[in-house]
Amino acid sequence: MTSTTDDFDFEAALGACAAGERSALRRIYEREGGRLMGVALRIVRRRDVAEDVVHDAFVRIWEKASSFDASRGSARGWIYSIVRHGALNHIRDHAREVPADESLTDSFEHETSSSVPDPYQQVLLSSEAGMLYDCLGRLDAAKRSSILLAYLEGCTHTEIADRLATPLGTIKAWIRRGLQALKECLA
Amino acid sequence: MIQTPEDIAGLYVLGLLDAARRNEVERDMENDAALQARVADWEERLLPLTRMVEPEPLPPGLWSRIERSLWPAPRAGAASVPSSLFSRLWDSLAFWRSLAATGFAAAMLLAVVGLPGTQPAGEPKFMVVLVAPDDKAPGWVVQASTEQSLKLIPLGVTDVPQAKALQFWTKGDKWKGPVSLGLVQPGRPLDVQMKELPPLEPNQLFEITLEPEYGSPIGRPTGPILYIGRAVKVM
Repeated sequence: MTSTTDDFDFEAALGACAAGERSALRRIYEREGGRLMGVALRIVRRRDVAEDVVHDAFVRIWEKASSFDASRGSARGWIYSIVRHGALNHIRDHAREVPADESLTDSFEHETSSSVPDPYQQVLLSSEAGMLYDCLGRLDAAKRSSILLAYLEGCTHTEIADRLATPLGTIKAWIRRGLQALKECLA
Repeated sequence: MIQTPEDIAGLYVLGLLDAARRNEVERDMENDAALQARVADWEERLLPLTRMVEPEPLPPGLWSRIERSLWPAPRAGAASVPSSLFSRLWDSLAFWRSLAATGFAAAMLLAVVGLPGTQPAGEPKFMVVLVAPDDKAPGWVVQASTEQSLKLIPLGVTDVPQAKALQFWTKGDKWKGPVSLGLVQPGRPLDVQMKELPPLEPNQLFEITLEPEYGSPIGRPTGPILYIGRAVKVM
């Protein structure tokens, strides 16, 4: 897992996009496109759809670059939120079309089935440094898994309930309390 | 269960609101700065999770598809230079030579002829025409759309002796000495990011000097000045 994104100035790149510099959008694409594709694919689970999501996101990044406001958050976060919400909107509007690409289903299922109800133990073992990972490590497995299934895989409450074989009401409570705990821990 | 605004922002970022609620949040965010800030905070808090996702290969045709969607017209010339401006400059080179304009006058002329027809978003903030010190013949143009990045555009091909190179420099009024912006290939445009430098200012000096093959060994110009000019703010 790489974390070498720190030396790329996303804010400057967005500023250049806003100034009409096409090569700046290309730089963002080259720098982060692969991971953005990964984030979209993990949520929509079909390569052709993920490609559409990334396409639409880059069109939007270009068109909205001038509305990016650095006082409200990081440029990198802004870019990811466009891709993630694009992907989420797609699956919510299309009720996650089946069939997903078989190879993808296999790999995601394989990753998770062996360790339910804690599909994200890897977070704790992750080499990623940072407060968020520490704080996730302090959550109990159920809350952590629920939050990660939603954020990374775009699962709904119902889907999470199925995955973790837990009643829906419990899942909703876990997520709500999990978010509150994260916020406190990160404060 | 009563949902606080904080809960709603978090659930929105997780993608856990139903369609009606999600649309409501997106609509409200446009006018509700507090909600906008809550959502942005959650986006920021959870962003490190994206690093758990391994990058996927990008399909070969995807970038050109994005380009076609954004800029349907066929593209010509360098990326950020409006082609009309570029060709106009090119065409008027002979005219400038005969005019033997000073860098300043030429830059003003450029600012005047260059602006109509260019896109507002790409409008340069600063222009510099780099001219030869002896006959004032313009050789390069600098165009800066932001205060931290600029493009150096050749107006012709500069002859460079063997084992020599062109080096591009700038110096603000109050700086101790010129700072290198890199080596320049004759006849080739160059994009320069100036993140470590103060923002561009009017009258900032730019020059191209002849240096050893791998650039000046001492970090400041050692060879003759081939082209020189000062930044003019475009009105």
